[in-house]
Amino acid sequence: MEARENFSADVMQYAPQLFSTAVRMTRNRADAEDLVQETYLKAWRAFDSYEQGTNLRAWLFRIMTNTYINKYNAKLRRPDETELDDVEELYLFRRMGAFDQSKMSASAEDQMFELFTDDEVKSAIEDLPESFRLPVLLSDVEGFSYKEISEMLDVPIGTVMSRLHRGRKTMHKRLYQYAKDRGLVNEALLVETDGASAPSQPE
Amino acid sequence: MADCQETLNELDRFLDSELSPGDKEEIMGHLSVCTDCQGAFQFHAELREVVKKKALADELPDGFLDRLKNCFGDQILDDH
Repeated sequence: MEARENFSADVMQYAPQLFSTAVRMTRNRADAEDLVQETYLKAWRAFDSYEQGTNLRAWLFRIMTNTYINKYNAKLRRPDETELDDVEELYLFRRMGAFDQSKMSASAEDQMFELFTDDEVKSAIEDLPESFRLPVLLSDVEGFSYKEISEMLDVPIGTVMSRLHRGRKTMHKRLYQYAKDRGLVNEALLVETDGASAPSQPE
Repeated sequence: MADCQETLNELDRFLDSELSPGDKEEIMGHLSVCTDCQGAFQFHAELREVVKKKALADELPDGFLDRLKNCFGDQILDDH
């Protein structure tokens, strides 16, 4: 039983990141708290099936992702992914020349951090349809491998990769829009810069 | 050596640490001589860091951790 006693302490260290990811998944703090509690209850009950020494964090996230998918009847295997508009490659990168330097106070190294607010980043993720939102969360935010994400979501690795790619582009486009709405962007600057900043055709 | 298009095609896999050592070396080789691609990779690496930090910045609800700790123990037998 000693292992079980340590279990509580071991899993509690992941509570803050599970909660944040749960908020991005459910888009609601109260639902997120319920989701994390359910995850911990299931983890406690399923403790005997946890193999000591394997990745505890991945195990917890797998339980939480499964719980979310079942509870919210998430549609992850939709064959026709027409929910997102096509966004050109390197969308945000190609528009960085349009950011008005005079309106940004931070030093160069902090600039990217100051460019977008916490709420904008959170919204850009939460606005993604769930079949894109979950892979982006599990990869960009939680750093799980394609294989781990493929197992958690029960979709092929190739699908994980294509959803990550499209989800990220859409998220970046949204971030650009937020910056534009806050008056940080002067699109007239784009025409003055070199060809690298000119929008290109998507592949 | 990989050209610009081949290199940019591997941007996701590179940042996701999903490339084989050989492929990674190939990309690094191109980045060491191409400042345009280097800029694009650097930009996306930084953006990834920013997104990660900001997406994890949620204050926990009051008493959340205490309520969570109650999930461990005998009382779960009475649950449902």
